[in-house]
Amino acid sequence: MDTTSHLGLLLIFSAFVSIAFAVLMRDEPREQLMFGAKLFGTFVGSAVLLGWLLYPLPL
Amino acid sequence: MPAPSGRRAAPTANPYLVCAAAWAVPGGGHLWLGRYQKGLTLLVVLPLMFAFGLWIQGRIFPFQFSDLLVGLAAIADLGIGVPYVLAKLAGAGAGNVIAITYEYGNTYVIVAGLLNMLAVLDAFDIAVGRK
Repeated sequence: MDTTSHLGLLLIFSAFVSIAFAVLMRDEPREQLMFGAKLFGTFVGSAVLLGWLLYPLPL
Repeated sequence: MPAPSGRRAAPTANPYLVCAAAWAVPGGGHLWLGRYQKGLTLLVVLPLMFAFGLWIQGRIFPFQFSDLLVGLAAIADLGIGVPYVLAKLAGAGAGNVIAITYEYGNTYVIVAGLLNMLAVLDAFDIAVGRK
């Protein structure tokens, strides 16, 4: 993966943080998996959504 | 008084020593308390996140409180424990401010330390029987 890509770094960051939070906040492996997946999706989805919302704004 | 239902009995380890272990070695507190799955996951994920941040040119911030954010970032960096010391001994963490990934690297390094602080709190809660 290209480590200078914003999206790539976002995906890696989201994965690390989602795993850590899932492990800390849930006890059962299945719950951890579900919670981690939801967190990861929320991280990535909200970043993409915010990116598109900001897109029309001038720099 | 018996522990409320759904909670495990409090382990007998000293909670403050557990916190020290959890800070020094990410996941160490959980491993000490027998939460092997959590401990091993944290032991892999948090140092890897810290190392990745350094690899993409992130910086270990100095303890300079003349700039408050730099001082706070230094405290957050220190939260990762022994990997912080190893990185300093290896001369890593100088950061490259003109690298395109510099700010990203800083974020990875800082957040890895903060997540380990959360792991310390979680280990404390387990050690005193709250979880």
